[in-house]
Amino acid sequence: MSNTILDVKNLRTTFYTHMGEVQAVRGISFEVNQGDVLGIVGESGSGKSVTAMSIMGLVDEPGRVSGGSILFMGQELTKLSDAEMNEYRGKEISMIFQDPMTSLNPVYTIGNQLIEVIRRHTDLDKDQAHARAIELLQMVGIPEPEIRIKNYPHQFSGGMRQRAMIAMAISCSPKILIADEPTTALDVTIQAQILDLMVRLKNQLHSSIILITHDLGVVSEVCNKVNVMYGGMLMEKASVFELFDSPQHPYTLGLLKSIPRDVTGERKRLVPIEGTPPDLLKPPSGCPFSPRCPYAMGICVREAAPLYTLSDTHSASCWLHHKGAPVVEGFVQVEEESVHE
Amino acid sequence: MLTILLIATVTFFMMHAIPGGPFSRERPLPDEIIAALNEKYHLNDPILKQYFDYMVGLATFNLGPSFRRTGFEVEELILLGFPISAKIGLMAIIIIILVGIPVGIVSALRQNKPADYFVMFIATLGVTIPSFVVAALFIYIFAGVLQWVDAFGLERPSSYIGPVLALVGYSLAFVSRLTRSSMLEVMRQDYIRTARANGLSRFKVIYKHALKNALIPVVTYLGPMVAAILTGSFVVEKVFTIPGIGKYFVQSVNDRDYTMIIGSTVFFAVLYVIMVLLVDVAYSLIDPRIRLGKKSE
Amino acid sequence: MGYQQNDFDFLDSSRKTDKEQIREALTYWADTWRRLKKNKMAIAGLIGVILISLFALFGPSFTDYEFAEQHTDFANTPLRVEVYEISTDLYVYLTPAYRMIVVEPDGTFLYRLDQSGFDFANKQFHFDYEGEDVMVDYSYKLLDELADENIDYSITFRGVEYKVPYKVTSNKSYPLGSDNVGRDVLTRIMYGARISLEVALFAALFSLVIGVTYGAIAGMAGSWLDNLMMRIVDIIDSIPLLLYVILIMVIIDNKGLGTIILTLGLFYWVGMARLVRGQVLSLKEQEYVLAARMLGVSQPVIIWRHLIPNAMGPILVALTMMIPTAVFTESFLSFIGLGISAPLASLGTLCNDALDAIQTYPFQLLAPALMIALMMLAFNFLGDGLRSALDPRLRKG
Ligand SMILES: Nc1ncnc2c1ncn2[C@@H]1O[C@H](COP(=O)(O)OP(=O)(O)OP(=O)(O)O)[C@@H](O)[C@H]1O
Ligand SMILES: [Mg+2]
Repeated sequence: MSNTILDVKNLRTTFYTHMGEVQAVRGISFEVNQGDVLGIVGESGSGKSVTAMSIMGLVDEPGRVSGGSILFMGQELTKLSDAEMNEYRGKEISMIFQDPMTSLNPVYTIGNQLIEVIRRHTDLDKDQAHARAIELLQMVGIPEPEIRIKNYPHQFSGGMRQRAMIAMAISCSPKILIADEPTTALDVTIQAQILDLMVRLKNQLHSSIILITHDLGVVSEVCNKVNVMYGGMLMEKASVFELFDSPQHPYTLGLLKSIPRDVTGERKRLVPIEGTPPDLLKPPSGCPFSPRCPYAMGICVREAAPLYTLSDTHSASCWLHHKGAPVVEGFVQVEEESVHE
Repeated sequence: MLTILLIATVTFFMMHAIPGGPFSRERPLPDEIIAALNEKYHLNDPILKQYFDYMVGLATFNLGPSFRRTGFEVEELILLGFPISAKIGLMAIIIIILVGIPVGIVSALRQNKPADYFVMFIATLGVTIPSFVVAALFIYIFAGVLQWVDAFGLERPSSYIGPVLALVGYSLAFVSRLTRSSMLEVMRQDYIRTARANGLSRFKVIYKHALKNALIPVVTYLGPMVAAILTGSFVVEKVFTIPGIGKYFVQSVNDRDYTMIIGSTVFFAVLYVIMVLLVDVAYSLIDPRIRLGKKSE
Repeated sequence: MGYQQNDFDFLDSSRKTDKEQIREALTYWADTWRRLKKNKMAIAGLIGVILISLFALFGPSFTDYEFAEQHTDFANTPLRVEVYEISTDLYVYLTPAYRMIVVEPDGTFLYRLDQSGFDFANKQFHFDYEGEDVMVDYSYKLLDELADENIDYSITFRGVEYKVPYKVTSNKSYPLGSDNVGRDVLTRIMYGARISLEVALFAALFSLVIGVTYGAIAGMAGSWLDNLMMRIVDIIDSIPLLLYVILIMVIIDNKGLGTIILTLGLFYWVGMARLVRGQVLSLKEQEYVLAARMLGVSQPVIIWRHLIPNAMGPILVALTMMIPTAVFTESFLSFIGLGISAPLASLGTLCNDALDAIQTYPFQLLAPALMIALMMLAFNFLGDGLRSALDPRLRKG
């Protein structure tokens, strides 16, 4: 597609620890187009954050991207040096994190940190950057930005800090904003405001968002596409409509079942499916979900399924889609040719 | 202020709790002489009057005559020794800060590399080996075997090397270890990740964002560091026979020169309290969450 | 891609191989020990501690000397001795202080020869060997024209001058030399190490008792009493402790073992009290404590019963770290003349005693000083290792 901004192919990220190789991400592929809000969901430890950090080029020792490619607007990011990557980070791709309480430097003012980022990526002088900082704070809905800009992070509430983080992230109108569980640490009403703000700013700046979350409710509200991850692999990717309407992977099915149907509309964290996620130190040779899968077959234990393309926007990695597999209600089967990679 | 008052009071009453009084020695003095001495040092006055007189004296920096060095006032001895000790102590502090902090940073940035292991090995030796051992080794090697420097006194500039080295040892090692671990801790913090995610250069991330935070625990150590240098000076001045306040103090301890002991203890304590106060000020300058007097959060 | 026959059959639940390996459930201490073993420094420290303890405890039974046993004839002998054979079966050794000692061929000291004369003009000493004269000429180093010979002295006996020693050997009588009154340095270090260890161990235990009691009371009492007790702890923390330890030692003026143990213990319990109080406070919140309470068990009993196993790890670390601190403080006090004194001697006392002669007999100072350093290193390594082995943050690995 012509307006593809980010194209991740067969990405692998491995941590070479003294206990052995931890394969946190094991060959995942997806694209982000302009205007997308891509949700990444999955249990704790499924490799969501590592995926995000790999895109940012921020995977730290002892880890590194051990395979695959990340194309950003045609530029291969995995080949760039740290210094070259700095030209992209915060300018073309920016990121906000889960815990706003600890994500801002406590010993510098909000203004100082914001202006620093602005001046890092633009030619604005001090005063212009200051004016721009105030403007940004205004945009993210911080009242009295002229005064607040002089505050230290500890003088901000959690929600305001996350707004400040967003201001920093959008300061150079990035093409992609990666948000790793941006609202988990906030209370429910603030969550909604922050998500709303992010989507509004995305539209205003014509950028896209990768939203990592545990919350399928959030996904259904703000995302247009979803990646479901498990054990460092992509289980299913689909448009939001397809995913909720006809999930094509037993893991996704399990996730959807575990959403509490709460009449008050209050969202809860996912109730995990029975069993524990795999140990990525010695990942099972087959499908990572097979030990917990109610539909596990002989082949699942031996070999991970390829990604079966089910529609233009929908694919899933499960042997049930193989035409030789038993037919299970709700799961479609496809011809061998539509296998992706 | 309150702390100083408390320290002075406790010290005063502690000294007066000594059984037998200050003039009891191995060989008892004739009674008349003791009486005369008691008279001279106002030891017959009621204890409260003595206390009051002492406090007034303290406020006016008049610490009374030395018991054993007749003809000397305690404050004279302190003023005599202090500049010498202060000079060495100051050199030590400057070296600790100028060497310890950078070494700690470099070590943290090269975590688990040979340079780091080497520095931490030396630093571990430094915090575990007492200063008199360092001093003795130094004298043995550089004054004894190699004959590069004088073993005693402060006549030549090179004579300062040994005392300063022995004085610096523990705190230098401690500061580098503290800086290192604090730096490593800070580098793991979320705000460092934020700074990197915003494309700031490695230099800025380390020297602007990490360093200031990493220095906070180091600043807290400055108070204890002064105490360590103070007590270190007792040993160092004794070993290198330097006529500083530490040597006088050890001497007065050995001859049970009570006015001198009280005087110097109070002097040291006051010095310490002032340092702690300065550290508080420095602290509030670095960490905006702490404002003088009250801690938020 | 070749598929096998049963590939697309569902697995029954029993055949589903759960690949999760269940990590052996280890008990707390076994787990700690496992991780301690991996830490080379800690093991080095542990071995060091064991060796030093053995050295201090059992060493003295292997030496021929009592620690206060004096042989003034053999004062200030070094580690190595030059033995001259000045006649068949007559071997002598000249000490640095120009005393002549008759020795066995292997260097064991026998007896000292009396000095019979001293000729200052010719730089000669004369000794009396069974009525015969032994002459030592020490002019070689002093006169420029003799400097080429590059020896310190020569010995002349029955008209023959001996310039080269028969052999240079280790000091068989005193493996680490003797001190200024002829006491065996090795024996003294053994005893000194024993005293230092005793002081450190008991001071640490004593401060442990105070600290645990104080901390437990503060933690259990809560409210204003807790506040008050912690204020006191803060105040104690804000004064330069060593200064007050010195002051107390001056006042008590009794340089016995007990005094120094009490004084050290009296000042170094503060950290332990904080630690224990924290543990008690967190225990109070625990559900099983609440549950036990509902069942009518009194709170102190519960806390006491649960505190010990829970706080054991941190307390052990604090104890291990307290020992080097106490060793250091004790040697510091002894060194400035306030700690242990004659007839007892700790390592610090030994250092202090040897200080006067540091230029001439540096080894008498270096030996106990190195011993102190070794002790501190061993205990610190062990303590550091224990701390990281017990650190819950690192526990997973
Ligand atoms: N620095 C590291 N060293 C070793 N392993 C790591 C490291 N960072 C992450 N991992 C491993 O990578 C795997 C994926 O972690 P990741 O943080 O991406 O999970 P996540 O999906 O973001 O989980 P969560 O929902 O809890 O944030 C985990 O099993 C983790 O153990
Ligand atoms: Mg995560």
